[in-house]
Amino acid sequence: MTDRSHILRPVALLAGVAFLVLLPFLVRDQYQLHLAQLIGVYWILIAGLNLVVGYSGQLSVGHVGLLAVGAYAFAILTGRYDVSPVLALGASGALGGLCGLVLGLPSLRLPGFYFAMVTLAFAVIINEQSVAQTELTGGGVGLPAQGFSAPFASPQGFYWLVLGISALVTWLTWNVAHKMWGRAIIAVRDSEVAARSVGISVYRAKLIVFVFSGVTAGIAGALFASLQTYITPDTFVFELGLFFFTCIIIGGRGSILGPFIGTVVLTALPEVVAPLAKLGNFFYGLLLLIVVLLIPEGFGRLLTQAMTRLKPQAAESKVVAPDPARLKAALGTRAGNG
Amino acid sequence: MLKVDAVSKHFGGLIALSEVSLDLRPGEIHGLIGPNGSGKTTLLNMISGYYPVDAGTIRLDDHVLNDDRVPERALRGIARTFQKPRLLGPLSVLDNAMLGGWRDAQAGFLATAFLLPSVWRDERELRVRARELLIGVGLAHALDRSANLLEHAEQRFLEIARGLMLRPRFLLLDEPAGGLTPTEIEHLGTVITTLRDAGIGILLVEHHTDFVFRICNRVTALDLGRLVRHGTPEEVRNDPEVIRVYLGG
Amino acid sequence: MLTVIVYGLAIGAIYAATALVYNVMYSTSKVLSVTTGHIPMLGGVFGAYFIAGLGLPILVGLAGAIAVGVLFNLLTEIVAVRRVLARSDEHLWLLSTLAVATMISQVMALWWGTEPKPFPRLIPQEFAQGIGDQKYWLPVLAVAVCAGSLELFYRRTMYGKLFIATSEDAFAARARGINTDRVRALSYMLSGALGGLAGFAAGQLTFAYFALGFALTLNGFIAIAVGGLGSNLGAVIGGLALGMMSSFATYLFGGEYQQTVAIGILILVLVIKPEGLFGSKQVRPV
Repeated sequence: MTDRSHILRPVALLAGVAFLVLLPFLVRDQYQLHLAQLIGVYWILIAGLNLVVGYSGQLSVGHVGLLAVGAYAFAILTGRYDVSPVLALGASGALGGLCGLVLGLPSLRLPGFYFAMVTLAFAVIINEQSVAQTELTGGGVGLPAQGFSAPFASPQGFYWLVLGISALVTWLTWNVAHKMWGRAIIAVRDSEVAARSVGISVYRAKLIVFVFSGVTAGIAGALFASLQTYITPDTFVFELGLFFFTCIIIGGRGSILGPFIGTVVLTALPEVVAPLAKLGNFFYGLLLLIVVLLIPEGFGRLLTQAMTRLKPQAAESKVVAPDPARLKAALGTRAGNG
Repeated sequence: MLKVDAVSKHFGGLIALSEVSLDLRPGEIHGLIGPNGSGKTTLLNMISGYYPVDAGTIRLDDHVLNDDRVPERALRGIARTFQKPRLLGPLSVLDNAMLGGWRDAQAGFLATAFLLPSVWRDERELRVRARELLIGVGLAHALDRSANLLEHAEQRFLEIARGLMLRPRFLLLDEPAGGLTPTEIEHLGTVITTLRDAGIGILLVEHHTDFVFRICNRVTALDLGRLVRHGTPEEVRNDPEVIRVYLGG
Repeated sequence: MLTVIVYGLAIGAIYAATALVYNVMYSTSKVLSVTTGHIPMLGGVFGAYFIAGLGLPILVGLAGAIAVGVLFNLLTEIVAVRRVLARSDEHLWLLSTLAVATMISQVMALWWGTEPKPFPRLIPQEFAQGIGDQKYWLPVLAVAVCAGSLELFYRRTMYGKLFIATSEDAFAARARGINTDRVRALSYMLSGALGGLAGFAAGQLTFAYFALGFALTLNGFIAIAVGGLGSNLGAVIGGLALGMMSSFATYLFGGEYQQTVAIGILILVLVIKPEGLFGSKQVRPV
């Protein structure tokens, strides 16, 4: 039986990319394009958050707070200070990273539940202050947010901006996930003991990944504000943070594709299936519970397991058979390089 | 040399170790034996940095390790395995071993994200080294297998390979023969003596006393946190106090 | 000014009660459930529903609120905790209890509505009572009853001793023949009752409001983090302290800073003394 997965992957990838690039011409109306843009913006945040939640195992439920920081920064800079949208975009990312640092420094040393609660608390503070600081944020009334100038001014143009940034962020997180840093943060998630025993500074690793996720959240926030053209504190409720988190868990930890599919499905589903929209968070909660109880690895894992079935399986040996000569060569001739 | 000097440890009112000394030299296998509760795993945990020292010092050459945390000790060349193997289930055997190469990975987070040349160098070098070590310890047949599908013996040997990726001067083995068949213990002996001959200093904490006496250069016997006897395998196995502790009950 | 103090004590009492619920559940399961704050929320909502909505007598309403608390927490234990504890992944219970909390929150929002609704008067009393109003004293009384009965329970009853044995060393407890699964289920039922009672008592202060669930989960957590996980004294002191500081923050800076100040306190404590005032430091396991 031939190995089909070798051909399947690049073809699927190419088809997917082509579809995404041509999407503005394939959708029927503005509403669908808007949905695609929203998915893209969410994915920018979720891709970064994926490294935190899915790979390093830090259960942050409050990233909506960082989204809000980016959104308000963008709206204020472009609105009040006439900063160009592109510059404001960068500033939002930087501010998101800074807030990620401030949030992560005290909280990443804490055990799981404590950490999750602190991130929740962060989202609550941001929400409360966005109402309280009326001078800055417009209080409960909110702020308008500007669009980008050409070539990103049109809906299609904006879509391609979002697509480009999503693609970049996806590529960055893919790289991290599949190299030494990826192994290191998976170790942080699955066995801190093992991680430390090979010299990984667990806290430092968690913090760096968390700050990165702050940058992506800030950028996502800026794009989100521009997309929605008007933001209020009500937009950034805790439930949205829960939604991001759920996309990752349902998609599967330790996967890039899984959470991406999760994002697409969970964002689009309530729009497509009207009764689900009414249920809202109940639906997400139920899905989360089902996944945790029945498929803790998430749907992404089911996908990879299905794909390995396509590969031909050889008969498996389980016998350990050392090769002392080879071992000696691998160790080198000097007495323990230290 | 790795020197443990009159080290003591207590947990609340319970004395786990009382003024125990031993030293570990490069190119030797030093056995650490004792009945349950003798403190041998506690001592290993203190050398690797999981428990703080209550009294005494642990030294690596001239440097006092007492305040160094676990990752710092690993980076100084002290590797270890665990009584219950700590592996990354979803990852392959090769990936698990490569984790041990963290010490030598040059690329930082951003360099990795942007796929700078250092990333490719790291991957290539560490992959080659990991493969060779894995084949050397006997896992050539399982390189791409998920770690959570491994047999118990395979898990133990994988942990050793991962430890070796640190290019360690000293390797601390926490009951590596636990759950192994006699043939597998033979293989374990082969691997450990090969490591010794390459100049690594090995601390072998074990229950299988026959195995210990067979391959160790020196042995330390503990009981209830105290040093009972220290010397060559012959000396220790024939010591009346050691015999009493093991056979007297 | 006196109102500020009395309000602080009252709101602190509900935080303290939530913290006690956290403690009881944690002691036998080592799980900190996201659903914890939702138990008092249900006590308040169902208390209002039974008495004002269905017109049932007050004591029946009280019994009903307690029953809802018991049932909800038992359900949480069966669905979100029991099966999950069997798996080795520590984080799973955080996800499962988060899921249940989200679901119950949304169900309440859909059924009860998203607006806070008034809670009926329990004791005949004029409304303009000032600091003597029952809405301040009932929660304080409730937390005193909860804390007091827990102390009696742990010290004087056999089941209390079983709970303590299970919490100190579940493995040893099982070895001695204690059915730790049943102990855990019972402890969840007990804490569910306490939470329901506290929520019912605080109803006139907090109103019957679905959003109270996550708010109490967070604030009850702050109380237990400040007071020290595992210590009932810490839970009460942490809760009351938090209530007082929130009340004064509102008085001094306005209501918009209430949560910010509370969370600021949390961060301060976690940075300086993460185990809380009366908590114990954890030993690192290998």
